[in-house]
This record gives sequence, C-alpha cells and structure tokens, in this order.
Amino acid sequence: MFKRILIANRGEIALRVIRTAREMGIECVAVYSEADAQALHTRMAHVAVPLGGMLPSESYLDMDKILKAAKDTGAEAIHPGYGFLSENSVFAGKVKAAGLAWIGPPQGAIETMGDKIVSRRAMKAAGVPMVPGLVDPVDDVAMAVRDAEDIGYPIAIKAAAGGGGKGIRIVREPSEMESAFRTASGEAVAAFGDGRLYLERYLDSPRHIEVQVMFDNHGHGVHYFERECSIQRRHQKLVEEAPSVVLDEALRAEIGEIALRAGRAVDYEGAGTVEFLWSAGEVFFLEMNTRLQVEHPVTEMITGVDLVREQLRVAAGEPLGYEQKDLSINGHSIEVRVNAENPFSGFLPSTGKLHNLRAPGGPWVRLDTCMYRGLEVGLQYDPMLGKLIVWGADRDQAIQRMIRAIQEMNVGGVHTGLPAALQVLEHPRFVSGDIDTHFLESLTIESPKEYEGLAAVAAAIYRHKKMNRSALAPAAGSRAGWSARSRSETTSYVQRAGMESL
Amino acid sequence: MKTFVEIAGKTYETEIKERHGELQITLDGEPCEVSYAEADNLGQVILIHGGKSYAMSIEGSPSEVSITVAGYRYDCALEDERERAANLASKAASKGGGLLKAVMPGVVVELLVEVGAEVQEGQPLLILEAMKMQNEIGAPGEGVVQAIHAGAGTAVAAGDKLITLAAKPE
Repeated sequence: MFKRILIANRGEIALRVIRTAREMGIECVAVYSEADAQALHTRMAHVAVPLGGMLPSESYLDMDKILKAAKDTGAEAIHPGYGFLSENSVFAGKVKAAGLAWIGPPQGAIETMGDKIVSRRAMKAAGVPMVPGLVDPVDDVAMAVRDAEDIGYPIAIKAAAGGGGKGIRIVREPSEMESAFRTASGEAVAAFGDGRLYLERYLDSPRHIEVQVMFDNHGHGVHYFERECSIQRRHQKLVEEAPSVVLDEALRAEIGEIALRAGRAVDYEGAGTVEFLWSAGEVFFLEMNTRLQVEHPVTEMITGVDLVREQLRVAAGEPLGYEQKDLSINGHSIEVRVNAENPFSGFLPSTGKLHNLRAPGGPWVRLDTCMYRGLEVGLQYDPMLGKLIVWGADRDQAIQRMIRAIQEMNVGGVHTGLPAALQVLEHPRFVSGDIDTHFLESLTIESPKEYEGLAAVAAAIYRHKKMNRSALAPAAGSRAGWSARSRSETTSYVQRAGMESL
Repeated sequence: MKTFVEIAGKTYETEIKERHGELQITLDGEPCEVSYAEADNLGQVILIHGGKSYAMSIEGSPSEVSITVAGYRYDCALEDERERAANLASKAASKGGGLLKAVMPGVVVELLVEVGAEVQEGQPLLILEAMKMQNEIGAPGEGVVQAIHAGAGTAVAAGDKLITLAAKPE
C-alpha cells in the first residue's frame, strides 16, 4: 500500500479522500490555490502545497505544478477526485510517465468514454443497449431529417463534445428539425469548437439510473448496484438515492451485468459509473463517468463498502478479494447536495461569508462538507458546499430521516438549495417514487404558507431589536424601482465578481 | 410604528410596541402573543407562539431579513410607514423600466424575449451560464424590452449591460 498520496482536488471530495487515507495509515498531500489557503482540506492533510493563482487553470488544472508538488513531497500516487483533472487522459498519462500511480482508470478507458461518439461505438460493439439513434455524427440538415425518420420522434440533438446538458435540443416534429439542427450546430461550434452532432430518440419521463462498478487489475470486477439521480435541474443533480424503486431483482442483476460488460470492453480499472436512462421498464446506456462520483456515498451506505478504500487498494495493485455474490443491499440511502444557490430565484448562485452554521446529527446521518464558519463562498468554484447523506432501514425511513436532518441543519450567510430539497422530499410524488428527470424543474419552489405569518412577526421583531441597537436607520426609498432584494444581491455579486482575477 | 413585511408577494402588517421591556405585537391588526428569545448572538432565535416552540435562524439587514424555520427559508422585505409611502411614490413615478446588468461573469446561452416584448417583474429574460450552471435571469421590474445588448453566445463580464427595459406605455 502507498505511504503517501497527493490529492489533486479541493472541497469536500479532497476531505473525503483524506479521511479514508488517514484511516488506512496513508499520509496525504493537499494542494491549494490562493483562494483556498484557509480551506479545510489544507488543514486536514499531512502536507499542504500551495499552487498559487486564483484561477483553476493556474492551480487545480495545472498538471505540471501538481506533478512537481507530488515529486517534491514524495507522494507515490495521485487521487484526482471528481471534476478538474479527474477525467483528463493526458494527465493520467503524465502521472504514470512520472513514475507515480494514478488512482483512476487507464488512459485508454478515459479517452474512449470521454468522447460520446467513440464510446457509443465501443458500447454498441460490446452489446450494451443504446437509445435508438445514430452511432455516427451527422453533418448536414438533409441527412438529419432522413435519419430522424428511422429513429422515430421525439428526437434529441446532442453535441458530440458536449456534456452536463450543454447543447441538447429536443425536436418533436419533422418540421422543427431544420432550424433546431442549425442552432444546435452553431452553438456546438461556439461552445466547444466542434460542430459534430448526433441524433437519438428522446425518452419521455426518463429516470436517471447509474451503476457503480469497480475493477482491479487482475481481471476481476464487481458492481455495487444502482443509484437513482432523477431529481435534477438542468442536468445538475440535487437529490440522489440508492437503491432505485423502479428496478426489480431481475432488472437490477441485468443492469449490473451490462455495466460490467461496458467496463470490460474498455479494459477498465478502478472506480467508475455507468449511467443509464430508464424509461417504461427499459434501460439505455447514457455514458460512463471514469471517476468517483459526487453521489458515491449512497452506495457506500447501502453496501457497507468504502469506495475510496477500494480505489486505493486497487490502484496499489491489490486484488478486490471478493465476488459479486458477496455483495448485497442493506436498507435505503438518500443524499442531498448543499449548493450555494437561491432556489427561490431560479437557483442563482449565492455568495457570502458563512456563519450561523449548524450541522445535523443523530443516527445514520452523514455530512460530507468543506464548510466552516468564516468560509468565503465566491464564484471561483463549483457552488457545491457539501452533501448530506442519510441511511434508513427502508425508503420511507430514509425520507423522514433526511427531512429531519435538513430541518436541523442551518447554513447562514448564503442561500442554499436545501429548502428545494425539502420540498421534493415532502412531495407526494417523490414519496410514492413517481419521479423522472423533469420532476424538479416542474416544481415551483416555495416555502409553506403555514409559517409565513410567524416569519413576518419574527422579522419585524428582529428589525425592531436591530434598529434599537443601532442608530443607523435604513435609507429611505430603498425599494424604489428595482426591488431592494435584487439590488442587494446584485451589489454583492458585483463586489465579489469584480475581483481582478475574475 | 407599523412595519410592513413582504414575503413571497404577500404583505403582512405588523406593529410593535415596547412597554416596560415587554413587546406587544399585532399581526394584520390582531394581537399576536409571542415570546422571542435570542439563543446566541449569531441569529439563533427561539420563538414561542400558541404553545409551540419554533427554532429560527434569522439574518439580514433591517430592510432585508431571511428567516429559516423547519428547514424552509422565508425572505422578507421590510419597510415602515414612512419608507412605504416614499417607495410607493417613487414606484408610481418611475412606471417601471430599467437596465439589466450581468450579476456575474458568464455566457448568455439563450434569450427568452425579443425587442418590443412586454415583461412582468421577475419574468425570465435570458439564461446566463456561469460556473457550469445555467441561470435564468429575471426582469428587475415590469416594462418593455427596448434594447438587447448581449445576444446568445456572448460572453459578458460582471456589470455588463444585458437588456434595457423601457417604461410600459400608458
């Protein structure tokens, strides 16, 4: 096993890796940007190396700086976390060329799965079920209209180089195809410099289901069952759970086998996630994420497996040491992402300095977070501040436990998406398991009326006490024209965003 | 002194009188018996009303208060009678309109309105992508779209002009 590893990431995932590594007696090297000098991951690691720079490109994305930090500190392996360089095959290659172990899949697997068209071709050859569509990209409108007839409407047009929901257009009728194709192509060129598009059937009421897999480098692989991540907004997940309510034992075993087949087809090693869309009892391959995912804890909670430990063991060359039949599902787990965003105004990112922080506790509640009092939440990085995870003996218990945990939790200084998650968890459709990937976007996020009067009274008393304490009266006319709220938010954004480095 | 508290579009009228250190409160004209105790100096408040105890987290300025209770968040805009009169007068005088600026650096992904469109306050005007997230940017007030300064695909810096709204015609 490694004696010392470097974690090329920040935030809660850096902490997540450090925690397991410490438990295994492995020393950790943290790296950090100028903005993260106080961050928790620099404090919990054994060694912290400054990379300098405020921008990701000058720090967490700078391969040479990270490799130098690893060499200087004597780290034997690099864990990339998620995001940043985690799915960068060039970096994976450089790490190995530098004589270090890469805690991730082989370069070739990252490359194949990183390109939508190449991966579709590979998966089709491996017998993985695909959404009806074209394996090859189309480059002109006439071809698109002709091919669309074979696939069947509605059709989704996707950018070959896209991701995270970028550059996707839905066409419901042949008459819409021409204009949609032209716009999508133009956007793809503008966004990615690559105008290749492919067409596929658009699935109505789809559910996002993914399978966690792990392969050692002795030819063994297992899956740790599925996660469902249908509660998402603009392809950003908010609530995740495991297992999924729509899979029966037969389909669960089948989808697991398919995921393993997908991994074997690209000689996979390490942890990976095969994403599927479920629609009307059928599953279709979406993509494979060649890294540890944000929502991995729900799998850990129902299987009792520490996925980071398995990643480290496998990367150090150890065999998995168990088989599929040794794994089983125990209970139900739910995760809610704590993002700095305002769900009441279109989930706009929210910035500020954290205070009034209260972490939930109690049985089977887990909080993976990089939050601390005084943390300045800016716009430099992803708005995810942490994840709240619960386990329950069954789904109903897990839902009730998550509601209880959210009600205990408080994050002051910024808005978070927690009230939206609470609304989802209390919604009869979610409770009954009747959800799809459009569910969250169909909700109007609002707080229940029952507490409004009390909130008004409390706000008035708060103001009364504050005004009594301070001689400063609010400026008259503070709500003229533009509402004061939008103005104060605008001001704070501009102040923070106006930093030179941005 | 009366205080008007607006939450999610609804205005509550409150009045607070302090006699011998005791607060007497009315909500929409009705007496409202509450006990308000600060648990710390950080915004944790225990409110007791009708035999029930509510743990609240409160933060903000005298005119903008955010309250979290039972995990739900209530954003309150507060004004007293004097401010209310002044604000109503200036709102009536302005007839809407205004300039929408980028609140953060990003890329305009999609425009949701065209020049000449009449818009309501809060209506989404465009989608701005920043930090990998797509954000709907709403109208700051009602008005008519007079000019669009940044088309789809344009990268904007914080503070750049996006859309100019003119006052609604009478």
